[in-house]
Amino acid sequence: MTASVSSSTPSPPSRPGAGIRRRSALGRLARVEWLWGVIFAAPAVVLVGLFVAYPLGTVIYYGFTRWNGLSPAEWVGFHNYRVLASDPVFRTALRNNFLFALSVPIQMTLPLVLAYLIHMRITGWSFFRATFFIPATIATVVVGIVAYSTFQVSGALNALLGAVGLHSLEHNWLASAHTSIPLILLVVVWANFGYNVLIYLAGMAALDPALEEAARMDGARAWRILISVVAPNLRRVMELVLVTSTVTAFAYMFTYIYVITNGGPGFDTNVAEFQIYYQWFTNGNAGYACAMATVLLLITVLLGMIQIRVLTRRAEG
Amino acid sequence: MSERGTSGRLMQLPPSQRWPLVAGMLLLSASAFFPLYVMASNAFRTNLDWANSQIGLPTTTSLAAFRRAWEGASIGSSFVNSIEISLGTVVLSIAFATMAAYSCSKIAWRPRQVLFLALLFWIVVPPLVLLVPVYIELASLPLIHVNLLNSKLGMVLVYTAVNLPFNLYLMTAYFRSLPDELLEAARIDGASVPQTFVQVMVPLARPALATLAIFNFLWAWNEFMFALFILTSTSTKPLTVAVQQLQGRFDQDPTGLMAGLCIATLPVIGVYLIFQRHLVRAITAGVGK
Repeated sequence: MTASVSSSTPSPPSRPGAGIRRRSALGRLARVEWLWGVIFAAPAVVLVGLFVAYPLGTVIYYGFTRWNGLSPAEWVGFHNYRVLASDPVFRTALRNNFLFALSVPIQMTLPLVLAYLIHMRITGWSFFRATFFIPATIATVVVGIVAYSTFQVSGALNALLGAVGLHSLEHNWLASAHTSIPLILLVVVWANFGYNVLIYLAGMAALDPALEEAARMDGARAWRILISVVAPNLRRVMELVLVTSTVTAFAYMFTYIYVITNGGPGFDTNVAEFQIYYQWFTNGNAGYACAMATVLLLITVLLGMIQIRVLTRRAEG
Repeated sequence: MSERGTSGRLMQLPPSQRWPLVAGMLLLSASAFFPLYVMASNAFRTNLDWANSQIGLPTTTSLAAFRRAWEGASIGSSFVNSIEISLGTVVLSIAFATMAAYSCSKIAWRPRQVLFLALLFWIVVPPLVLLVPVYIELASLPLIHVNLLNSKLGMVLVYTAVNLPFNLYLMTAYFRSLPDELLEAARIDGASVPQTFVQVMVPLARPALATLAIFNFLWAWNEFMFALFILTSTSTKPLTVAVQQLQGRFDQDPTGLMAGLCIATLPVIGVYLIFQRHLVRAITAGVGK
């Protein structure tokens, strides 16, 4: 055991006064640690405070006002929230967010299986490991534009269906939320799976190989080892993937929607983010936009907390 | 020993399972190349050829679309803007997150755990929620009243702040996995707190730093939403915004759009594929279990 600086004090002081001197020296040391603790944390605290925490505070405040984003705001209490409660467009937007959250189980399991196959050195594993990450390197806006050009009525998907003689399946894919939302969901899963594969691989590489070896000696098959040995030991990584992919469904959908459907037809493919942007930028209702932003924030905070709670409890129980 | 262990892993899957799985994975790999194929095959067409068919290889080849994208959408200057903004974000967000992670994990001061949680909390904040107030704030920064709208520095500061919670999470986890003994040895040798940081912690943290550099660069390079509203002039707008503006002229010039997408995308993919082995190793070393 290596002694730490503060606990390395040897035998009790023999001379009177030495203890006091030592204690004040320790006090000075602790003060120095405090000083450096503050200094090292300061830049992060200042930036997060200035560009995340303080703006969030103002969002919550402006949610209680009538405000166009320019002139002084007028306090209206819960008026915006009362309007919000019966706003069918915002309800549709939130419903769509929850529909996109249906991708979370796929985003958790598909990359886990793929990572496990690569981890087991399946034929071609290093090629798969290299190519799976390519979608994650392409900008969301580029992915969205390619998706738009593929799914639009004169796009490659319909051209391909026509070319193989399936004219009956040709469809205006983006003209209805029934087809465009599943397609956008597919695009989101596709854009993120390689990133999650890599995160899982990192976790699997850090596992003690003896665990898997022991299970193999006991005659367990590959899938049994994944479910009973590998996955339970990847709790922190799975937590990370769960939280990031849920946050994606609520907090990173704007670009996809803006580029692929622009919220249309009508407001059918709206998500909360898009509606916040629309009310602020197009309608000049910044106060109302801030009330919606507060609701969206509450949802993501609650979901994040519930998920971490559930995962920690399962690990303990 | 470990060699036998890795080949032993394969024995677990019977061929009847292995080959369908490999085929499925090949399909996924192919899908990763699909957008690249769409962009590249259409960027070399003429717009007339596009109107006739979008699938299959181009029947005409022309570099005119690249010239239109480069000149018409100022893709060239946007490229430089994107590089400046992304590198600035990488440097600032990693430096500040590493310092804060050191403070939260290895400096012996009582509030470090509270501070860690207080900084980590913001990881769940949707960036768009910040859009309205950050826009107002950048127009006139509190106390000093400087206008940072349409400023690359302002954008870098916002990107840095938004990435800090995740960076802090990763760096703190990494620092906590390092034994305290290393640090105490340095301190007993008389190294001060900042000396220990620079000479012991930063060199040890290299794998995690590489991971963060990759993640943050990709994040900043690909960011669209803030940039769309904050960087509006030709001299500041990054590639993502320039490319989206090309989409507005899609009906008139689809091949010009595809050429713009190529210019925006292929350099990053090229760099990724060249350094792929190192990048993957860096990421897997930087994220623990």
